[in-house]
Amino acid sequence: MTALRRVEPAARVVWPPLALGAFLVVTWALVDGFGDVVYKDTAVRLFLTLIIVLGLQIFSGNSGVLSFGHIAFMAIGAYMSALLTIPPEIKQFTYLSMPSWLGYWILPAKLSPLEATLAGAGAATIFALITAAPIVRLAGVEAGIGTLALLVIVYVFDVQTSAITRGTSTQIGVPKTTTFVAVLVWALIFVAVAFAFKESRRGLRLRGSRENLRAARSVGVRVPIERAIAWVLSGFVVGVAGALYGHYFVTFGPDDFFFNQGFNIVLLTIAMLVVGGMTSVTGAVVGCYFITVIYEAFRRWEVNGLGGVTPPSGTANFVLAVILVVTLVLRPKGITGGREIPWPGDWSFTSLRRLARRAGPPGEQDAVAAESPK
Amino acid sequence: MLVGTVSNVFQYGADSIYYGSFFALISLSLSLLFGVMGLMNFAYGELIMAGAYTMFFTRSWGWLGMILMTVLIVTILSLLMELIAFRPVRNASPVVLLVTSFAVSYGIQQLAWTDVFGLAHRFDSTIGTGPQKGVEPYPWLTNQFDVGGVLISRLEIATWIITGVLLAGMVLLLKKTTLGIQLRASSEDFRMAQLTGVRANWVISAAFGITGVLAAAVAILYVLGTGAVAPDIGQGPLFVAFVGGVIGGLGSLPGAALGGFVLGAIINALSATLPITLKSHTQLFAFLVVIAILVLIPNGLVSIRGSAIRRLWRRVRRAPAPAEGAA
Repeated sequence: MTALRRVEPAARVVWPPLALGAFLVVTWALVDGFGDVVYKDTAVRLFLTLIIVLGLQIFSGNSGVLSFGHIAFMAIGAYMSALLTIPPEIKQFTYLSMPSWLGYWILPAKLSPLEATLAGAGAATIFALITAAPIVRLAGVEAGIGTLALLVIVYVFDVQTSAITRGTSTQIGVPKTTTFVAVLVWALIFVAVAFAFKESRRGLRLRGSRENLRAARSVGVRVPIERAIAWVLSGFVVGVAGALYGHYFVTFGPDDFFFNQGFNIVLLTIAMLVVGGMTSVTGAVVGCYFITVIYEAFRRWEVNGLGGVTPPSGTANFVLAVILVVTLVLRPKGITGGREIPWPGDWSFTSLRRLARRAGPPGEQDAVAAESPK
Repeated sequence: MLVGTVSNVFQYGADSIYYGSFFALISLSLSLLFGVMGLMNFAYGELIMAGAYTMFFTRSWGWLGMILMTVLIVTILSLLMELIAFRPVRNASPVVLLVTSFAVSYGIQQLAWTDVFGLAHRFDSTIGTGPQKGVEPYPWLTNQFDVGGVLISRLEIATWIITGVLLAGMVLLLKKTTLGIQLRASSEDFRMAQLTGVRANWVISAAFGITGVLAAAVAILYVLGTGAVAPDIGQGPLFVAFVGGVIGGLGSLPGAALGGFVLGAIINALSATLPITLKSHTQLFAFLVVIAILVLIPNGLVSIRGSAIRRLWRRVRRAPAPAEGAA
């Protein structure tokens, strides 16, 4: 018992990422063991989006600054990694007009999957470094528009610079190297990274600036620098997601990384983070699972029908929108309320008890609960 | 040669005002909601879309019936949006409001994509060529004619006039009526306005109602020009107007209108001056300019802290940034 006491402080620190990691591994084991091809595909996409949401959490969750621009990092990661892995004999014909200073080293390149992923993420990181200077000076809605501008810039570049990106045509010959285990491992790594960053001194300073900008500055926090570090780190994370995405879907084009009609990746990843609770890593994971499961369940229903009822196509998206609104109305701070998974010894059921009380006749408790700040 | 360049300048001026009018109308409505309740309304694009669809269904009623019906339906939809989705989350943080508006926008757009109304297969986003694909443009409106070397259509002139009338109407409404004073007070400080007896529900509903009327105007002018009707018709103009609003200074109503015109001018000037090889990248450069404006003049062109040029000069002289953007 005393030995348990002694390790408890340390165990408390590593508990949330371990629990989340275990959760991911269990998901993987269940799907890999019992799921069919469709389930595996869903799970891979779940982990890919999870990596993006974790990247968003690192920046937006800790700094409180909204970003529409992270999908731009994803695009850069995907394109860079694809360019370096397509077999040279295919590239010679698909990239005829590539400028010679690029073609000189890109055309003969043939990297292994891991090297290419790191190269893609590296390119995204460099882009994040370049863009950090203006972005970290913005906050609130201006930051939203500034990052949106970044996304549009990268999108227009992808579409219009066909010598390097093939324009609106999809890629040809990208090797399909992203495996289920690979996405799982990357997701596990980034759960740990996001958590470590959040709990680090830099993360603490950044969270301080989120809660109260002036107070944080007054104690010497250099907010732009702290934000820039989170921005670059999240650029790397999302860049990895992009590279993995490219090697999973193989044929991708610029529209995969923009506001598209079906699964709108730019806004849905933000919605996942907010619905889960943006200030915690647990929130990122919960939001990602929540939205993916609902979306997939209704999509499955749409395709297969249930009990003779087949809803019209597009129902999944509509139901998702309704559930998003309802969730935000009921829990404006997200499902987790922005907290991490509590230590098992601390689990309390006061909220359940409060719910039970509320089911009874309305009394003083409710009035007090309604008055108390959110 | 000289005549050519002069008429070119006028041509670009006319086109800039034409595009700017759209952006100004949209930015103005976004800015109104942002000022009153801190909401960046993504769902505004869907109001435009709903307007376009209403026009499609009522296109055989003659232009007056079509326009009246569009204004009515879009305004009702705007009020419903507020009642159902935004009222419950009114006091939440701006990010939550933004995601809520995204969800509303997404839901309505998906409704249009699905076959719920038995329509989806009839539309695609190409410009309407037949009666099945959109609202046929009226030739007497869209035909261009030559005025001293400048090509304009009646629709362009109508757009200028309608925008002018709507802007003037907004100014009158905001300056001269009780509702206007309440709206302006709520934009300044919502809680304080409530304390002095402004009813929150009334002001916010009114703001959404005005937004609906402006959205209907945008939809009518847009669809009469292009004839296209598609579920994602509202998205493009919406993004541009977001940017216009920020350039002008969000929450400042004259700033938003000005920002719309400035953005129209920037896009037109860039597409006129860029070398031919970079012309396809116009939007890229326009958005670079946007980032520069955001960083250098964070409060927009119109702000209580003095003119943009003076603030920019102050900023350049003292390199470390003194003012923080409205967080």
